[in-house]
Amino acid sequence: MKRFLETGNFAITEGAILAGCRFFCGYPITPATELAEAMSKRLPQEGGVYLQAEDECGAMHVCIGASLGGMKAMTATSGPGYILYADPFGWALGCEMPLVVVNSGRVGPVSGITGAPGQGEFYLTRYPTQGGNFECITLAPNSAQEAMAMVVEAFYLAERFRMPITVLGDQLITDGFEDITVPENEDEMKEMGFRTWPRGSCAGPNFYPFTDDLDIPPVQMGSGAGGLCSDWTPTVEGYDIEEVEAHHKHAYRLIYKVRNHRDLFNHLYEKKYMDDDPDLVVVSYGTPSRVVNTAVDKARSLGMKVGALRLINLWPFPDEHFTRKTKYLTVELNWDGQLVREVQRAAPKDAAVHFLGTCGDLPTIPDLLENFEKLLKNQPLERKGWELEAW
Amino acid sequence: MQYSSATLIDKYLRTRKIPSTACSGCGLGINHKVVVQAIDELGLEPNDIIWGTSIGCAGRQTFATWKGDGFAGTHGRVYAIARGLRIALPPEKKIICTVGDGDAFGIGLMHLIHSARSNADMTIIVNDNLGYQSTGGQFGFTTPQGAHTDSSPYGMFEHNLMSEGMDVMHILKGAGATFLARHVAMDGQRAVESVKRAILNPGFSLVHMPYPCPTNFASRELGSRNQVNIYRWIKERAKPLEEADENTVWATGVWHDATGSRPEFSEHVWASVNKIRKTGAL
Repeated sequence: MKRFLETGNFAITEGAILAGCRFFCGYPITPATELAEAMSKRLPQEGGVYLQAEDECGAMHVCIGASLGGMKAMTATSGPGYILYADPFGWALGCEMPLVVVNSGRVGPVSGITGAPGQGEFYLTRYPTQGGNFECITLAPNSAQEAMAMVVEAFYLAERFRMPITVLGDQLITDGFEDITVPENEDEMKEMGFRTWPRGSCAGPNFYPFTDDLDIPPVQMGSGAGGLCSDWTPTVEGYDIEEVEAHHKHAYRLIYKVRNHRDLFNHLYEKKYMDDDPDLVVVSYGTPSRVVNTAVDKARSLGMKVGALRLINLWPFPDEHFTRKTKYLTVELNWDGQLVREVQRAAPKDAAVHFLGTCGDLPTIPDLLENFEKLLKNQPLERKGWELEAW
Repeated sequence: MQYSSATLIDKYLRTRKIPSTACSGCGLGINHKVVVQAIDELGLEPNDIIWGTSIGCAGRQTFATWKGDGFAGTHGRVYAIARGLRIALPPEKKIICTVGDGDAFGIGLMHLIHSARSNADMTIIVNDNLGYQSTGGQFGFTTPQGAHTDSSPYGMFEHNLMSEGMDVMHILKGAGATFLARHVAMDGQRAVESVKRAILNPGFSLVHMPYPCPTNFASRELGSRNQVNIYRWIKERAKPLEEADENTVWATGVWHDATGSRPEFSEHVWASVNKIRKTGAL
């Protein structure tokens, strides 16, 4: 293994290459630009191709084309580019094309603040395109090292589920310098828990079986199998069809291939001080979770019975973590409260679910401790004016 | 050489999609046959070609007609998909895309230009039915000036890519396309010859092929769905490039042939990658 003091962008690049990615197409955008730059340097060294597209919509379509031709492909962007993926994301979901999509969250809406971390696309990674009738898988690492691991995992899941997978980071994860260990061979990859899955090619004639089965290779153009794929509802052979029953069968597959195989990724979470029935569970993902973990350590040392739950697998939302009737506090990098809504939905009806938001800047440990204390004393998180907890 | 459609269909097309769901009298089938005939005259087989299609009349009716592999892109994006696919495919595999005018010259123009810019080996057949006909008949960006459509009830008066001396071919030539031709549906063997040259060009080729839409375009502009009227209307406005005059809407023939003048995209990219891999530099 080799150790580096490097950025998350570097770690993601190395992870993608380890997973077999040999194609990247992107469009420069802060704070994901350095990832594209790293790919432009590293991919040719590994015999892979880096391309720059006319925009993010084009970039993901170009990646779709490469994947359709049998290559493992990835693209990366930030919020303003991720929204331009809406069109190709739908195609990749519908045609079941494996791809990995990295989103380094910044402050929105629109261009917002370019060089600061945000978590405004929690729901967007669940609904990255229109039309509904699909499930999505989103993985959210909280460090450069874990970003590498989750990109490798995303390539693994993309192949097995035959779909695009989002790795949701933020500006601090992709731009921040950290101690990174890169495995150098397959044994070291296994030692680090990295899983890979080879690209196959569907031999047909049934390219879109309406089952929830995994490990059906994707359609490949040029294979000679007479493969078909389109943006329309497909028949089992891939012909376009406008029939409700055919659509229902296709939707069943897109939804239940994920819902019925959550065991492949629902172990991706981290719990801290959760074994003694804590009076307050702090829920977070990504960079804020690192501050939360430190704050919870500190709270415990001060005698506060607080636990921390960090989600890595964000979607499908892991409802199973929220069965206990207790107090929950979500800590997020947005002011509108996104994760909190999902926790409110998943938690028992009489559980108290609170929200603490910041955006562009991390919460401070004293601020978190003050809020933990208030909630443990059953005091409301009162704030003034534009700092109100609930707007 | 005379071709019967049945022979070409047996050899190259999936009978499940033939006849297509196109309207009675639609000219798309003529264009489709021109392309398949060109393929046959070049001696290509179904496995030699990956067939891409778009959204709209031209895309929907030609999707999954090809016996080999076929894909349909989202609206306007097939050019970007084809660019990525070009990298992944072996160079001997051809990509042919049958698309519409709205797809190529409207929503997809930027992706189209970038495919021309990169000189990616693909042949784009733009089947131009003079507007958005599958949505009921609205004007597009190559609809002749003054044409009455559902969204230009007073006559189409917006500047477009085929008005005031403009021609969409100039844009594509400027963008770096290495083969450009235009033929109306009734050009017959002249069109077949151009499509053959387009397919053989190892780079970005586009053939613009206006064709008659009796159902929507003709019913609004000519007040009749009589196929003869719209076929005649188009023919009257088309002339070979060398005979074109001020009244010509569609100057037909080979517009631009720069075959071999620039390296092909995928070949160029892979040669560069291989050099970097071996030597660490370009």
